[in-house]
Amino acid sequence: MIVENTQTQMRKGILEFCILSIIGRGEIYASDIIAELKKAQLLVVEGTLYPLLTRLKNNGLLTYNWVESTSGPPRKYYALSPAGRDVLQQLDKTWNELVFAVQTAVGNPNEQ
Amino acid sequence: MNKTIIININGFVFHIEEDAYEILKNYMTDVKRHFLNSADSLEITTDIENRIAEMFTEILAQEGKQVIVEQDVTAVIGQMGRIEDFEYAEENDGPAFQNEYAYTGSRTLFRDSEDHLVGGVCSGLAYYFGIQAIWVRLLFAISFVFAGTGVILYIILWAVIPKAATRADRMAMKGQKLNLQGFKKNFEEELTSVRGNFNDFGNEAKPFVYKTRDFIGEFFHHLGSFFSQSGKVLVKLIGIILLLASLGFLIALVIGMVMAVAYGRVGLYHVFPFNLMEHQVNSIILWAGFLLLAIPLFVLMMVGIGLLFENYRLRRGLGSSLLIIWMCTLSVVIYYAVKIGSEFRHSASFTQNVNITPTGKNIYYLKLDEIKYLTAEDSARLRIKERFKNSTILNEDYDNSDDFDSPSNVSISIEKSDVATPVLVEAFSARGIDYEDALTNAQNTSYHFTQKDSVLQFYPRLEKPVNRLWRNQEVHLILKVPVNATVIVEKRLQNRIEMHNVNVYECNDMNKTPDAKSAMFIMTADGLQCKVDSAAVAKREAAMKNDE
Repeated sequence: MIVENTQTQMRKGILEFCILSIIGRGEIYASDIIAELKKAQLLVVEGTLYPLLTRLKNNGLLTYNWVESTSGPPRKYYALSPAGRDVLQQLDKTWNELVFAVQTAVGNPNEQ
Repeated sequence: MNKTIIININGFVFHIEEDAYEILKNYMTDVKRHFLNSADSLEITTDIENRIAEMFTEILAQEGKQVIVEQDVTAVIGQMGRIEDFEYAEENDGPAFQNEYAYTGSRTLFRDSEDHLVGGVCSGLAYYFGIQAIWVRLLFAISFVFAGTGVILYIILWAVIPKAATRADRMAMKGQKLNLQGFKKNFEEELTSVRGNFNDFGNEAKPFVYKTRDFIGEFFHHLGSFFSQSGKVLVKLIGIILLLASLGFLIALVIGMVMAVAYGRVGLYHVFPFNLMEHQVNSIILWAGFLLLAIPLFVLMMVGIGLLFENYRLRRGLGSSLLIIWMCTLSVVIYYAVKIGSEFRHSASFTQNVNITPTGKNIYYLKLDEIKYLTAEDSARLRIKERFKNSTILNEDYDNSDDFDSPSNVSISIEKSDVATPVLVEAFSARGIDYEDALTNAQNTSYHFTQKDSVLQFYPRLEKPVNRLWRNQEVHLILKVPVNATVIVEKRLQNRIEMHNVNVYECNDMNKTPDAKSAMFIMTADGLQCKVDSAAVAKREAAMKNDE
């Protein structure tokens, strides 16, 4: 259980960071975000994404545009708000710090 | 071939198979419930719905078909993720997502939609208080008796307590721990068994009006099932009554039959319906009559059992053979009934005169013959009978008549004689298959009349030899006495023998002596008349007044 819990916590933090990063590359549709996450082997189901996106949007980090679709209902295309960009930058910085911390703590035999 | 349903997802119309729809509906209900406590509930579920609509459109376009089937829905749900996946991702995610699934350690009050007699109130309460449902039901059943308070309470509770619509509700109702493992297991079960109870889902997001409508619909649905249940109870009750009644009659019939066979030749065959026929025929008729009654009773009993136990049916072979036997016995009984009827077709009669020695005072006492008159065959028969019935050879009073012999077959009338000597005219009559047979039957009887000085003794029955069958043999006695002759009739005689123009009771009333054992009559030119002693009557009346 402890392992599971830690894994969940690690993944959750990374997931939010990854989503913001993916959206940061440009306007994107939810299912495309899923596709990107799958490519990155961060396996999540779509259902999980919607509450997350809604929360990020309500926190002012994301904006979205309605785009007419040829297949089905109009789609929400998400983009980063200026606040979102700030947060992403901060997270970027934190991530780099974390990478350094982890690498130092775990140790890289090649560099020794 | 499958039934399809047209659904509308946020303005987009899809044809979906019924099975697939059930699963989708179930899924969406769970999703909505999951996000119910979230501030962004509507937005999230709309997003999910839109995405599902989009995926459906893609599937339909890709596969070039028109209808969403079960696999499509499962695939979409797989991509969208199950509730426990949501749970997994949202864990420890702040109060916004702390929904009702959180295990609080206590039970929630719901109506149990799966275990219900009427609305599931009782079983819901039972879960809530952690007792068995039967006790709650018993309590309600008892409270129904007290001016129906239970009914009102029940309906209020029914309206107020929400129905356990989803798996989560039922788990909460039962106080089961609502953790991931429990859900995972239950969810798989639910997906496979969803067909059975999909009607219970999807009532959550409906406005109040619809909820009311649902409640009323549900109310009448349960009312209907309640009445059909009580109808079943009624059927069972009828079954029990039928079973017991037919069983009772059958037992009585068998006992009667056993007694008839045991009582047999000696006792039974001079009793009324059996003295119509020869002994050997009697046995046949006895058995035929027995079967004629027993078979329908048996069938009725089987019908009763059939009503009581639904899966019990009378075997076809048994039923038809019983019917055949019954038809046979019916035809036997009809045959003999017709045959016996034909033996009553003709009647014959003859008369003979018995001279009565006139007495000097011209007074005649008419009495009942006290002594049992026995023929040679009868004494043989009666000796055996004595052993059974403990009867004496005296003629008893009418209220202790010693056997159930043929219907009353002696009658007397008293008429005026044209000559000075009295005479008794005995008119015998009988019936038979033809005139000769009828006449023989009439001749074969004998009537026992004795005169001792002024006492004329009448035997209460017409005797026939024991081997002769009952063919309505009758004797009508006409006592002819000259004018001015006094006739004193015993009350007992009137009790045992039908008397046409004599009424001892009436005459005693006229004389104000209702307790007298006999009455006095006088033959006049106009016929027999009661002799009223006016002086004596006046005296008695005076005495009665004094008494008062």
